[in-house]
Amino acid sequence: MHKRLSMVLVSVLLVSFVLSACGGGGAASNVKVGMVTDMGGIDDKSFNATSWQGVEMAKKELGVQGDYLESQQQTDYAPNITQFVNQGYDLIVTVGFMLADDTAKFAAENPDVNFAIVDFAYDPPIDNVRGLVFATDEAAFLAGYAAAAGSKTGKVATFGGISIPTVTIFMVGFEKGVEYYNQQNGTNVEVLGWSTADNNGVFAGNFESTDDGRRIAEEFMSEGADIIMPVAGPVGLGTAQAVKEAGDAWDIGVDTDWTISVPDYKDVVFTSVMKNMDAAVFDSVKMVTEDGFGGFGGESYVGTLVNDGVGVGPIASGMVSSDVESAMDDIRQGIIDGTINTGWADYLSSLN
Amino acid sequence: MNKKRSEDASIREDTSSVATNSETALRDKVRKTRGVVWRSLLVPLLATVTAFAIGGLVIIATDESVYEAFQDGIGRGIVQVFIVIGRAYGTFFTGAFGNPAQIVEALFSGNAAQIRRAVYPITETLRISTPYIFAGLAVALGFQGGLFNIGAEGQYFVGGLVCVFAGYSITGLPQIIHLPLALLAGVAGGALWGAIPGYLKGKTGAHEVITTIMMNYIAYRLAEFMLDVGGPMARGDGRPVSPEIQLSAYLPQFFPNRVDLRVNAGIFLALGVAWVVWWLLYRTTVGYEIRTVGKNPDAARYAGISVPRVMVITMALSGALAGLSAATDILGVLHFMPNSFFSGYGFDAIALALLGNSHPAGVVLASLLFGAIGAGARNMQGMAHVPIDITSILQGLIIVFIAAPAIIRALYRMREPEEDEELALARG
Amino acid sequence: MPPVLELKGITKRFPGVLANDHIDLRLEEGHVLSLLGENGAGKSTLMNILYGLYSQDEGDIYIRGENVAINTPNDAIRQGIGMVHQHFMLVPVLTVTENVMLGMESMKRAGFLDRETSANRIREISDRYGLEVDPDAVVEDLPVGIQQRVEIIKLLYRNADILILDEPTAVLTPQEVEGLFDVIHTLVALGKSVIFISHKLKEVLEISDRIVVLRRGRVVGSTTPVESDERDLATMMVGRDVILSVAKMPREPEAVVLNVRSLFVRGDQAKMAVNGISFEVRGGEILGVAGVQGNGQTELVEALTGLRAVEGGRIMIAGEDTTHASPRTITEVGTAHIPEDRQRDGLVLDYPVEDNMILNTYYLPPQAKGMVMQEAVIAERAENLVAEYDVRTPSISTPTGNLSGGNQQKVIVARELSRPVRLLIASQPTRGLDVGSIEYIHSQLVRKRDEGVAVFVISAELDEVMSLSDRIMVMFEGKIMGTVSAVGATKEELGLLMAGVAPETATMTS
Repeated sequence: MHKRLSMVLVSVLLVSFVLSACGGGGAASNVKVGMVTDMGGIDDKSFNATSWQGVEMAKKELGVQGDYLESQQQTDYAPNITQFVNQGYDLIVTVGFMLADDTAKFAAENPDVNFAIVDFAYDPPIDNVRGLVFATDEAAFLAGYAAAAGSKTGKVATFGGISIPTVTIFMVGFEKGVEYYNQQNGTNVEVLGWSTADNNGVFAGNFESTDDGRRIAEEFMSEGADIIMPVAGPVGLGTAQAVKEAGDAWDIGVDTDWTISVPDYKDVVFTSVMKNMDAAVFDSVKMVTEDGFGGFGGESYVGTLVNDGVGVGPIASGMVSSDVESAMDDIRQGIIDGTINTGWADYLSSLN
Repeated sequence: MNKKRSEDASIREDTSSVATNSETALRDKVRKTRGVVWRSLLVPLLATVTAFAIGGLVIIATDESVYEAFQDGIGRGIVQVFIVIGRAYGTFFTGAFGNPAQIVEALFSGNAAQIRRAVYPITETLRISTPYIFAGLAVALGFQGGLFNIGAEGQYFVGGLVCVFAGYSITGLPQIIHLPLALLAGVAGGALWGAIPGYLKGKTGAHEVITTIMMNYIAYRLAEFMLDVGGPMARGDGRPVSPEIQLSAYLPQFFPNRVDLRVNAGIFLALGVAWVVWWLLYRTTVGYEIRTVGKNPDAARYAGISVPRVMVITMALSGALAGLSAATDILGVLHFMPNSFFSGYGFDAIALALLGNSHPAGVVLASLLFGAIGAGARNMQGMAHVPIDITSILQGLIIVFIAAPAIIRALYRMREPEEDEELALARG
Repeated sequence: MPPVLELKGITKRFPGVLANDHIDLRLEEGHVLSLLGENGAGKSTLMNILYGLYSQDEGDIYIRGENVAINTPNDAIRQGIGMVHQHFMLVPVLTVTENVMLGMESMKRAGFLDRETSANRIREISDRYGLEVDPDAVVEDLPVGIQQRVEIIKLLYRNADILILDEPTAVLTPQEVEGLFDVIHTLVALGKSVIFISHKLKEVLEISDRIVVLRRGRVVGSTTPVESDERDLATMMVGRDVILSVAKMPREPEAVVLNVRSLFVRGDQAKMAVNGISFEVRGGEILGVAGVQGNGQTELVEALTGLRAVEGGRIMIAGEDTTHASPRTITEVGTAHIPEDRQRDGLVLDYPVEDNMILNTYYLPPQAKGMVMQEAVIAERAENLVAEYDVRTPSISTPTGNLSGGNQQKVIVARELSRPVRLLIASQPTRGLDVGSIEYIHSQLVRKRDEGVAVFVISAELDEVMSLSDRIMVMFEGKIMGTVSAVGATKEELGLLMAGVAPETATMTS
């Protein structure tokens, strides 16, 4: 008898504990959000982690229930989605274009469940899937322009993790921004590590090795580059360390504002090319929680400079003149208007 | 002739004694075999139990609710420990094998959806086990031939590339031709990738551990080249993935058109191939050659076996099995190939071969165990919020205890194997 | 005065076997006690009990009249007992000094090894007992005989008074055996006591003060060299009369089966190991090769059997040119090969006996139909061979490595002699075997010769070559020093040839 009583008590305590943990700050909601990561896992300091921040934010501000499942292999995506579907989740966020096939299949099978996928948009769109894509080229263009202005050696550099479109989009925009600066100011700032014309550049071959990030940065610096943009997740931390040790060089953060997310290196962050996946995920959760939500209707989210889906972080003080800053405001407007070409669309069409 | 007759007589005398001899020998053999089977299962079994016990400690130690409960008193803390463990391994069990009550209920209800839901965990366990069986057999076969194939991962990649190409590029064939063709393509790709290190070892003595690792890197880069955006095998939708294979190359699924219940004919193929590998190893001249080279290459040479040739055959067969592993993943589950095809099978396969003592039956059992761990841990992640990394911890611990059986023996106060005494006796 | 060592009623049981059955033994100070017995008689078990590796089930050990318990080798060492095992316990890459120090390192202050003091003690010991050895030499560079000395020094360094030598002569050349006996004489003269384990009758008679014979775990006799001779000992050991010399009838040789012409073969160090030799072996004769080991015999056999490349010359077996043939082809033309290193080349020790019985015929019918092995046929064949060749094994599924050396060799002999052959090459066919097994294998070789097979025997034991062969060929530095008829050949004559002294009086017959 006593045993059963204590079990009941314990379960009550447990339930209340779980509830209080989930309750958080804002108004309670019975919307359940599940996120399925790519193979990098939840702590990848890159798109999985950033997307999860969006869910966390929604848990705090909207009071939704949020959980994640990590994938270790390609074949894990489907069972992870299945788990959320079977448990009646309202919104399932899948992170990364590698999940596109499985997401599409499950969306077709479960038309009542809402899906959002980071870094992919379907063509033609799927009714209950919201594709979350980012015109990172726009922000990278601005960063390239600023870097060209800020470089003292006349050489800037970039490299990627693996040659995939979500990585090269940064590099293409960056190079084009540098070109635009040269064109406007009659200078000849060089870009190391990427050439859109040759469709060729430097890649670490992975998204893990900080040693690779350091080694590549050291090579670039020995060739004279003083501002480096690593588009390679945690590999970039090695680059930041190498740049910090060198003393007279700078690093451009990607995905998040590195002065905040990587405070150890905030003194060497020239600027950051922000891809606000957290905002996009949060926005999708918010849509689902709203009264009268009737499905995504196949609409995609495109993060741009206009909706702050992408952007550049603050530029390290004293690195560029106020003239450059105001020129950047004009360029920003030009990109939004479409009068300035970031080169991404041309690059993409050249591939296919 | 006379001489012959007298010989016959003596032989007859001998055979009578041989008959009784062979009878006792047979009984002896049965008894011994039983003992050997039992003994060879005991250590892996205890290793698994111990690994789960330690895994439980890890789960408790990383659970905040336990610490919080202990702050409210030791009694509550202990209760919480049992709750956490119970919930974790409870969800683990239902994730790997399903809820028995639910399964029975579903079967009686006859409701298709309910049945599907109830058997889902088992289908996932079998689905995960399928490629494990092939990959484990690949490494086990290498071990039998005295070769340490670390290159199963690369053979898996190349087998996958060739297989997926055959799967999507050939059209208009009926399934009965297209499917076997695509499977054979995977076999051929893997076999080629395995045979190269085998040839290098046989001809030049280049150590297979080094060459297979190098072949892995070449395979990764080859896959990148083929599948990267703009590459010759890319789908052309801006993603580094191959096109989807034709429906005629699909491995038949138990539950056709279900995206969640992915168990397919691959599991039968795996069990069949495991039997074939056993038969090949223990019942054919090729297997005899492989095992002889594996156990004593000098004696193999003495016996007239061409050691380099056997090495090439062993590695090609090993690679073929790794290629089949990829083929079943592609034709049965994914239906395309992504360039980041890192499966980790190549390295898990070494663990499986060790755990299965390089015997096909052992590899099958080990693969089912790893499949259950994979499916169970995934459910544990979702239902009990235990990080998925527990899979690696459990697998790692099992391997540690297998590799260091002395720990297990000390833990369970088992006797040392009697071999020493037997040897002492025989040698006098 | 009590004996330095006395064993009373030592009994040791292993599952199903009584390895030592109430053994009593007395060793007097300054004596050499020989333990004589076939493999499996219980000698090693007894000595392992004395050395603390096993503990006895019953019985007591007395050292100088005091009942002692010996549970570990350390206990044994403390009681002044030291043992030189058949397989040396030396670290090949360390120097003599380092090996001797191992386990009882003397330290300078601050934990540095004091090699100097140790080296000096080693020199002192080697001077005293006539154990010449360079303390700074690396063990792997030393010949086997010297390595054995290092083992003995190790014991003396640890102040052992009772030295157990387990089959010490098995690995030595006749000259080295003489050297060892000198050492033993010095040891006992200086007050040490020695237990000498062997199954070689002549040696035992030469070195012992007392001889104890074991058979099937029991003491079956205790005698002295004065009171007994080889025949007595052999009968005690085996339990029946044994024929010490090989009985064979004279026989007319038939056609040439093995024909070797100007053969050149390289050794492992790229030097020519076989230097242009020519000889032939006829059906129905045994040609024995005598020679100190390392004079090209091993390379010659490997070349004949296809395991080593031929540099020049020609080999014909049964009329076929096999100069560059593969081992399989050579087997198939009718060659049987009993290899020098039975455990390395001749057997897969992990395999059950039945699988070793088909090592080079596994692919032939009826053992295999196509690529499918015929289990039942293989098992039946193995059962028959085990019975016919008297292989003592619990069953045909016993791992061959668990058998005694003699029975392992019988497995090879059974396999090689049970198929139709024209040429039999036997390399060190009886090395390390007991009298019973030797007798058996000799009789099998002679039987083959009588059946008309050409038999080619290589042995380091001159006695064996002399008693087995019809003709004797002596090799020295890869060349044939001479070939003599076995009838009337003397040890002195052969010894000169083996030492490379050109024959003047030797009769050339080939």
